[in-house]
Amino acid sequence: MTAPVMDPRVAPPFPEAALHILQNAELRKNVAHATDVIQAKRNHLVAEKTDWQELRTSASSIRAHVLANLTSFLEEFEAKCTAAGGVVHWAADGAEANVIILGILREESATEVIKIKTMTSAEIQLNPALEAAGIETTETDLAELILQLGNDEPSHIVVPALHVNRRQVREIFAQRMGLPELSDDPQALTSAARSYLRKKFLSVPTAICGANFLVAETGSVAIVESEGNGRMCLTLPRTLIALVGIEKVVPRFSDLEVFLQVLARSATGERMNPYTSLWSGVTPGDGPQRFHVVLLDNGRSEILARRVERQTLKCIRCAACLNTCPVYRQTGGHAYGSVYAGPIGAILTPQLQHMQHAQSLPYASSLCAACYEVCPVKINIPEVLIELRAQVVNQERAHMARWSDPMYVGMKAANFAFASAWRFRWAQRMGRIGLRLFTRKDGWIHRLPSLGARWTMSRDLRGLPEQTFREWWGARGRSGSREAK
Amino acid sequence: MRASLFITCYNDTLFPEAGHAVVRLLERLGVELDFLPAQTCCGQMHANTGFRPEAFSQAKRFVQLYRDVECVVIPSSSCVAMIRDQYPGLFEELGNEELRTQFAILLPRVYELSEFLIDKLGVEDVGAYFPHRVTYHASCHGLRGLHVGDRPFRLLSKVRGMELVPLANLERCCGFGGTFSVKNAEVSSAMLDAKLGDVLATRAEYCTALDNSCLMHLGGALHRRNESLRTIHIAGILASTEEHPHEAAR
Amino acid sequence: MTASSSRQAILDRIRTATRGDANRYETLPHNYIHRGSLDAGSRIRLMTERLREYGAEVVEASLANLPALIVHQLQSSGRRHFVVPPGLPKEWLGAGLDWKLDNNLSHDEIEHCGGVVTAASAGIADSGTIVLHHGADEGRRVITLLPDFHLCILRARQIVETLPEYFARLQQPPRLATYISGPSATADIEMTRIKGVHGPRFLSVTIVRDDG
Repeated sequence: MTAPVMDPRVAPPFPEAALHILQNAELRKNVAHATDVIQAKRNHLVAEKTDWQELRTSASSIRAHVLANLTSFLEEFEAKCTAAGGVVHWAADGAEANVIILGILREESATEVIKIKTMTSAEIQLNPALEAAGIETTETDLAELILQLGNDEPSHIVVPALHVNRRQVREIFAQRMGLPELSDDPQALTSAARSYLRKKFLSVPTAICGANFLVAETGSVAIVESEGNGRMCLTLPRTLIALVGIEKVVPRFSDLEVFLQVLARSATGERMNPYTSLWSGVTPGDGPQRFHVVLLDNGRSEILARRVERQTLKCIRCAACLNTCPVYRQTGGHAYGSVYAGPIGAILTPQLQHMQHAQSLPYASSLCAACYEVCPVKINIPEVLIELRAQVVNQERAHMARWSDPMYVGMKAANFAFASAWRFRWAQRMGRIGLRLFTRKDGWIHRLPSLGARWTMSRDLRGLPEQTFREWWGARGRSGSREAK
Repeated sequence: MRASLFITCYNDTLFPEAGHAVVRLLERLGVELDFLPAQTCCGQMHANTGFRPEAFSQAKRFVQLYRDVECVVIPSSSCVAMIRDQYPGLFEELGNEELRTQFAILLPRVYELSEFLIDKLGVEDVGAYFPHRVTYHASCHGLRGLHVGDRPFRLLSKVRGMELVPLANLERCCGFGGTFSVKNAEVSSAMLDAKLGDVLATRAEYCTALDNSCLMHLGGALHRRNESLRTIHIAGILASTEEHPHEAAR
Repeated sequence: MTASSSRQAILDRIRTATRGDANRYETLPHNYIHRGSLDAGSRIRLMTERLREYGAEVVEASLANLPALIVHQLQSSGRRHFVVPPGLPKEWLGAGLDWKLDNNLSHDEIEHCGGVVTAASAGIADSGTIVLHHGADEGRRVITLLPDFHLCILRARQIVETLPEYFARLQQPPRLATYISGPSATADIEMTRIKGVHGPRFLSVTIVRDDG
């Protein structure tokens, strides 16, 4: 299995990455199947939930409120968590977070860690940093374990290994777990993982996790999961380190009544996921006696400062947008070159890169708005996509090279033409004459040069009619046929 | 009832027959229609591609042009969505007080075609006759931007002689997406492929929609594959009568 | 950057980014359903239905026949050695069973136990959720995690219909909580739902009707 690079700084642009994946029929089938299954379950439960829109409204406004008052909520969380026996650290960026975490592990003399899935750790490339420091890491989520043992990358936020089929999993487990007789039955594969991981759970004293929610009022952390590996990592080790983006706070414990209702329905199409764990600091006699929270900025405070883009941070990582996106359905997650894929990835990844990388991602969308419709916290993703596109174009405006970009030239020319009716009519005439060269006897265009070739790769274009609408109207002799500027 | 037709830049140039149909239809319904020749484009293509100041200059032109009209009818849901969803932000960011006021006065007077028929004229049965098997594709901007809801269905269900066949995965995007169709041509084509599969499975003779943008994309691929299924803007169906039936051109 | 200067820098950036944005928590809308509409009997029925939907066994008992029923459940479970929290009512620890009181048992000792018996803090009927706050009669989190069979004694009066009702009833937020709404499951391999990845694979709930 190849190991696509999930570092947005070096990942190929979306159109190029997508082209490669579009040729992988198996992957596309898996993605379509997975997203269809979750979507169907989600839609059924949403239809059943008569107060779904009211829940969305509350979820959205609570998240927006948190972001608008983030300083006080983070300070409150820090105070409460500390009072409950936790240690709170602040990391300005990924590199600093890695340093902090390695520092804690060194204090613990840790040589090995078990991990609960956290996209945030992939965002900061934590595992390579741990490995470089000689610390063995074991991912304990089944999908993450599959990816780790198979030297692969996630293609979906909630079902990261959906691009891997059972035969492929069998291959990986047989080889890496030393089980040559293993069958490819999902039950057998899961049992193999259960045994393999149980040994780890009972022996490794240090665990790293993320968090779904931080509760400011109580200094608590909540983790939502299906498999139980979360509970294992949160309960059995001696030391627990949680790496969490600063935006993941909710104000009060009771706010969870909103988020827990919308998260499971949106993410996995269940009324409630199998296990949700909540803990506050350290509880003597129960669970890890050393608990650290590493609060991560890594570009989030910059996103916070921007009026339209701030809503990106409302995200609760349910991946409902991925499941409904018609673009994602065709490409899966690898095309986005980032751990955050799909519609949310298209807006979050370039912003976390300070718009210096992944500039093709805001264009990886037809702006159909299906994502906005399902987002439980009402992130207007199309609005943010359009805003980010404007930023990308503004970057281009500063470079002379823009005049060799046919799209840029075309847009400037079109704008010039649209500025007056006279120019527009002239452009229409020129277009009609020019395209005649490419128009066949049946009145259709089969092949165009330059950017046009991107259209004609899969579609014909009907030749321009001899008479535009306005010419027809003018010929009718109605009022309004005066030439206008 | 008086109305001013905003034909849209691409209908004007590529699909004038949709405009002919709108004129025939609305005049038949007693609307006194005019056409301001100074019109060009609403700015959607530029706004959606990231060319905001350029989009604003077009938006400004649109608002100033239609300042004094009773209402504007537009046979394109994506253009109306541009005006409703993005003009406010553009004018807030780049406009002045006077422009914002002009826009605020104009906005409630802008209608997409099916909205104009149902909400403004209050008609569902426009006297149309179109004896063919037809399927309807829900253009995303009409569906999610304008929330046109069942308006197109209410109009189409009253067309005499027509058999309306439901489209599977009705709400899934066809993959046009404006410049997306070119910037991400391969993914656009894959989405198109999926949509065409659903359209062809209806065994309809025609596929219709509120937007010629979607239909240009679908129709272009249908022609490429030598399929007999054709595309037609909803205006073409509604304008067709027994006395003056729609004539299929190829 | 030092630890404290990062903290300061981050908070300063956030403060600048959100200047003038504050609005009041009290004004936020909460127009979703808070209270359910089911009566007690229907609540129990819904809770039972949801639990069974995800494969849990559900039995009803009265306070009077509860201890005998517990013995019966555990004998039929096919397990031996049951770990119990120290605060579990003594009258529930019937004769003839191998009870291991959790007075700081080691993980290995708990791992050796085939099952666990606990009380609960709440039941949420809408989602079939069992809520544990890990008090004296529920025990440390590890004892409901390692054994393969969990017998949970839930009082009928602890059952609410909706999630907001659970939150509304709380005198104060729990320090620790585990919300169980199904056996552990994964759909990570070809979206095929497999139950029992980690955590108890068998959940049996006894709903106690206090009214006899």
